[in-house]
Amino acid sequence: MNVKRSVVALAIAGCALLSGCANVKAFERGHLSQPEMQFDADFSATKLSQQMYAAKEAASGGYTTGGGGCGCN
Amino acid sequence: MRPLQRPILAILAVLLAVLTFPGQAHALKPNDAAPEIETRLVAEATAFKLSALRGKVVYVDFWASWCAPCRVSFPILDALGAKHGAQGFAVVGVNQDDAAKDRDAFMKRVRVKFTLVEDGDHKIAKAYDVKAMPSGYLIDRKGTVRYVHAGFDGSSRDKLETQILQLLKETP
Repeated sequence: MNVKRSVVALAIAGCALLSGCANVKAFERGHLSQPEMQFDADFSATKLSQQMYAAKEAASGGYTTGGGGCGCN
Repeated sequence: MRPLQRPILAILAVLLAVLTFPGQAHALKPNDAAPEIETRLVAEATAFKLSALRGKVVYVDFWASWCAPCRVSFPILDALGAKHGAQGFAVVGVNQDDAAKDRDAFMKRVRVKFTLVEDGDHKIAKAYDVKAMPSGYLIDRKGTVRYVHAGFDGSSRDKLETQILQLLKETP
């Protein structure tokens, strides 16, 4: 009985989590490309600071990609 | 295997299968018949049908104001349309903006003469299964998709013009 209950609970939790997964098509990225959807307030300033960071640390990468989420740049 | 492990593994397997399942498996490929486009011109009540252009070589371009390479492609497509229009070439831009004001601002900034049509609910983009922005489909005089362009950069112009000239030579 306990096994059944936990399996059902797991299935429900899984289904609830699935609703968070959305496959956004390339042509539906208008909202994602809005300025407010960016991680940084100023893309150029972030790029500059990343360059300085890379020069001082002698390492780069592992950071987010630049720009909004339209995936076209 | 303990009794609890099997059902949990089964559920995880199902969840993984659902998560990785590709939504639409039939992307439009060269030599497929071009799906019909029935819509209206941007910000106008005039109806538009792709089949009305049968007999012409048509470049169907999916664009949006938020798509940076579209800004690069627009003047080039406009020039190609003007250059080869008399030989039977036409460009149709299918808009993918959600907000009409963004679209209109873009159209004011980047003025073009080719046909621009609406696709409010992305129905046309779904029918063509557009994978990238911009995406272009070069359709021959018989209504068959012959070349698919995903994205647009400096090298796209020459490639596209060569393909247009090749298709223009074919008889309907």
